[in-house]
Amino acid sequence: MLYLPVMKPINLMLWTFAALGISLSLAACNNPDTIIDLNNHSYELLNEDSSAVRFPGDYSGKTTLITFIYTHCPDVCPVITANMKNIQSELADTSGIRFVEITFDPERDTPSVLAEYKDVYSLNHQFSLLTGQPPEIDSLLSKLNIVAEKARIDSLQQDSSDYFMRHSNTIYIMDKQGRIRTEYPANVVPPENVIEDLQKIR
Amino acid sequence: MPVYRYCLLTLVCPLLLFWGCGSGENHQKEVVASGTIELTDGWARPGAKGMMSAVYLTIRNKTAYPDTLAGVSSDVAREAEVHESYKGENGMSAMRPAPDRVIKSGDNLYLQPGGLHIMLIKLKDDLAAGDSVNVLMEFRHSGARNVRLPVQAQR
Repeated sequence: MLYLPVMKPINLMLWTFAALGISLSLAACNNPDTIIDLNNHSYELLNEDSSAVRFPGDYSGKTTLITFIYTHCPDVCPVITANMKNIQSELADTSGIRFVEITFDPERDTPSVLAEYKDVYSLNHQFSLLTGQPPEIDSLLSKLNIVAEKARIDSLQQDSSDYFMRHSNTIYIMDKQGRIRTEYPANVVPPENVIEDLQKIR
Repeated sequence: MPVYRYCLLTLVCPLLLFWGCGSGENHQKEVVASGTIELTDGWARPGAKGMMSAVYLTIRNKTAYPDTLAGVSSDVAREAEVHESYKGENGMSAMRPAPDRVIKSGDNLYLQPGGLHIMLIKLKDDLAAGDSVNVLMEFRHSGARNVRLPVQAQR
């Protein structure tokens, strides 16, 4: 016969509260904290179709994967874009998820250049490629702790528009309230790691 | 010495000399086995006209000598160079030229995303998945090798 311990009602209540407290603490541990809060910020950007975008306001209510690229980048940025596509294709359900790539190089990456990049890499309607006035992009990158600086390679430099960039290599998850919650090395993070966090945050 | 002995020596000595030279040549051939530079797993990224692309492949030096990848070119781009992506200060991604890469005998040189690659600079036309590109590679010892590679989306 199985004997269950008999508890006084007050003890039972205390144990219940304790268990609830422990569960909530564990849930908080598994749920990433805010890294950067963009809630009270707004940046005027342009989509690859030249439409105006308020960032992050226009993504409110969506969980958004954000990364950073420039289209003259021959090697690392296409890997980052491919990784974003891999995350999208390995997600069982992409409803309510958006994929944003912000340029480091607004001088050369006009909306039409970004549209061409989007076409070359066959990115679908869930992707937005964003540019803007250079001071606005600089201000946003700075807020997001993203660093990008022009670098020149002597053998290739024919005029001032021939440059490459040294840049951060980052994917962020931004939640529905405009808070950056997680950060990954963009070109090497396995998609399943990002997807696991997306499921918790979405 | 009788005359016929002079004649015999005159005939035998050159024969011995030729045999000696011949055996040396054969011995040398055994050491310097003729090999090739093997190019495998090659592909190029798509890119829009005026923009960049990158070429990736594995180069295996199957010759008995070290060899050097001394130059690259392609008819689809205004210029081509061997470059290397690397992680610089504060984890930032950066790129630098990587000329004259030496490949030891029996070694592989891997050109792959995020590392060494042939950069195609200022494409003369759009490159789309399904197209192909010619790439000419100059090896200092083995000479020029031309390969035709498919344009593919990211592998």
